[in-house]
Amino acid sequence: MKNSSGDRNLIGLGISLLMAFLVSVPFFASDYWMTLLVLILIYTVYASGWNLFSGLTGYTNFGLAWFIGVSGYVSSLLIADHKFFWLLAWPIGALFVGIVSIGVGYILLRIKGVYFAISMVALTEGTRELFGTEYLEPITHGGKGVPFVAGISLSALYWSILLLAFMTVIVCYKITSSKFGLRLMAIREDEQAAETLGIHTTREKIIAFVLSAFLTGLAGAIHFTYQNYIDPSFGFTIHLTLTPIVMALFGGVGTVFGPAIGATLFTFIHEILWAELTILYMAIFGGILILLILFFPQGLLGWMKERGVLPRIRKI
Amino acid sequence: MTNFIEILIRGLMLGSVYALVGMGLTLVWGVVGIVNIAHGEFVMLGAYLAFWAFSLIHFNPLLSVALAIPIFFFAGMTIHKRITERLTKAPELSALILTFGMSILIWNLAQFFWTNTYRSVPYLTGSFPFFGLVFAKSKTVSFFLALGITAALFAFLKYSRLGKGIRATSQNSEVALVCGINTMRMRAVTFGMGIALAGAAGTIVSLQWVIFPQMGASYVSKAFAIVVLGGLGNIQGALAGGLIIGVLESLTTQYWSAKMAQIIPSMTILLILLLKPTGLFKK
Amino acid sequence: MHNETILRIDDVVKKFGEVAALDHCSFNIEQGSITGLIGPNGAGKTTLFNLITGVLQPDSGHLFFKGEEITGKKPYEIARRGVGRTYQIIRIFPKMTLLENLVVVGKGRERRVMERAMELLQLVKLSEKKDDYASDLSFGQQKLLSLAQVLMFDAELILLDEPAAGINPTLQNELMALIHRLNEGGKTFIIVEHDMGVIMNHCQNAIALNYGQKIAEGSCSLIQQDERLLEHYFGR
Repeated sequence: MKNSSGDRNLIGLGISLLMAFLVSVPFFASDYWMTLLVLILIYTVYASGWNLFSGLTGYTNFGLAWFIGVSGYVSSLLIADHKFFWLLAWPIGALFVGIVSIGVGYILLRIKGVYFAISMVALTEGTRELFGTEYLEPITHGGKGVPFVAGISLSALYWSILLLAFMTVIVCYKITSSKFGLRLMAIREDEQAAETLGIHTTREKIIAFVLSAFLTGLAGAIHFTYQNYIDPSFGFTIHLTLTPIVMALFGGVGTVFGPAIGATLFTFIHEILWAELTILYMAIFGGILILLILFFPQGLLGWMKERGVLPRIRKI
Repeated sequence: MTNFIEILIRGLMLGSVYALVGMGLTLVWGVVGIVNIAHGEFVMLGAYLAFWAFSLIHFNPLLSVALAIPIFFFAGMTIHKRITERLTKAPELSALILTFGMSILIWNLAQFFWTNTYRSVPYLTGSFPFFGLVFAKSKTVSFFLALGITAALFAFLKYSRLGKGIRATSQNSEVALVCGINTMRMRAVTFGMGIALAGAAGTIVSLQWVIFPQMGASYVSKAFAIVVLGGLGNIQGALAGGLIIGVLESLTTQYWSAKMAQIIPSMTILLILLLKPTGLFKK
Repeated sequence: MHNETILRIDDVVKKFGEVAALDHCSFNIEQGSITGLIGPNGAGKTTLFNLITGVLQPDSGHLFFKGEEITGKKPYEIARRGVGRTYQIIRIFPKMTLLENLVVVGKGRERRVMERAMELLQLVKLSEKKDDYASDLSFGQQKLLSLAQVLMFDAELILLDEPAAGINPTLQNELMALIHRLNEGGKTFIIVEHDMGVIMNHCQNAIALNYGQKIAEGSCSLIQQDERLLEHYFGR
């Protein structure tokens, strides 16, 4: 406890240096490295956003792709069909998925455990199919997809996602060390007991769900602007749910920095494996998932905390 | 009117195969407590078994079903003993994520070894008339095969010692354990049976549908809809659920669009979970 | 002195399928009292707790807390009005520290909540372990922590489900002493307990349930002489 303020200063210094470096990247790095960093930062937001809700409340969200796809669609359509400026289209997409998530959360968060996970998959799959039908084609362009050019430079895109990733980690840090975060953890530990102790569990769950939707949605909007394209199978692919979960699991579920570390490592692994073994890459990914659950369920940071390498506090 | 009856019967035929997949999933989920997301991948593997046996050595696809059941049964038992048994004490969601990994591993390996080419088993082709209605031979044979396996499963669970043990374990594993039932063995056997049902369904599917590495996804989503419809662990419920999903799909395809028929499983899951989370049928 | 009714149970019925867990049950609890709730297994005691805390809803009948109807209210709403409970199988938050277990249910300003949490940890003599995970505590200590949680949100009516069961006599005495002290401070208790000694020594009144019906009610000494009860508890 005594040296915690010293620790904090050290961590603060480290973070400031890292930020200064990251902000200056566009001035010296090649497009290849910037692209790689953009992906790392996008997945940092995805993994942290998933962790913010699922890691703290214990409700496994298997529909992260729904947040990403809905916001990605709204912002892409605004840019492509309505000539919105990207900086305006992104928050509208994220706000849209955030607001819809209030209703979705209110309805689906009554369902517990595995059934909640399945209902989120069903929601994602249902939306994916629906966006490809002829009924929504006038709005969504159906299965043909939406190609578009946002007219944003790589540097501007990089700085935007850097800012978002930074904000997301700060939000996660603030929440895990707040009473709100404790209430979410109480829900994870024993929801009924939490409710008889006066915690409005439904409200807390919805707030966390919506916050997670907004942050991942914002990253999703940036993601599809970066790709210049979205279609139903691309926007709602199960990989957009799966990859962030693996990253969060690897780094440590319920930790602040774990998902960011997981995102960084896995994006690199992806880059290397993808180049070498394109098809087998996904198989290896599946294998890693199995091994993680069997041998490493507490994640990297959890493992280090157990070993005493890191202090057993929530703020890491 | 004849058209409607034909479509209805086609739906039942389709549903009988879905029911096999769904019964396997609900059995494993209810007795072993593991939600097997990779269930659909075993349907895919079953279909490939029939395909390779047919195209390499001209093995009769109808006999492939008999071949698939023991192979998948032992494969399932082995997988359970080596991997999933470790998860019986872990949170339910660990199994969800692990079997998710298993699903990705299996279909990507299938894609790697067998490529994305669409395959089919051209064995039973053509159709035959029946009181003014027309049915594809492959679908009719599939229907009776599926019914036969279902009947065998019901008889096994009802009359055999092992089957009674499985039912006891599903109702209360602690009591079963105290009563001298080896619940660990029961779980392995049940897991094997679930996988065998998926594999058998796969060989049946190969008679009438194209075969490709990602085909498991559509079967697992239907299987989940069936489990939710029938109530968790409820075998009879799963049979009824399978037939319902089959008929709904057949009717929607005919009178609306094939695209809308794809939405049925996810809509069913969402609606049932919200309106009647215990399923439509009493145990 | 304290004759005001804090809790009124009015003709409550709760059925599980065909079986009535509570069958037209009515009684009042006075403010500042300690009431023992007794009866054999399956008599409906835990069901009654679940109804009072809003975890279950009655099929018919009404519940009032401090004159206000609480029937149909959500558990958190009832808790916020001042009803707290502990569970027979302890239900604290195992992977949270002791301090966090208390802070999480506190209301008001951060600083005030922290102070109150520390006070309560001292009260239950667990302040030295404040940064340990709750799962590291002994069963008896977990019961104390559970009681502290209830005090943390200033519950006025506290329902204890078998507080003395499964803990050593020293801790048991400490716990009962604490309950008396809190009672003197104005808290009202309803205690479910199988150990009749605990009921007789510590409760002023007792209510006996059997098959979901109230079969006796009164001061402990009176209850002790009731013949039907003797049959259930003391006779054999």
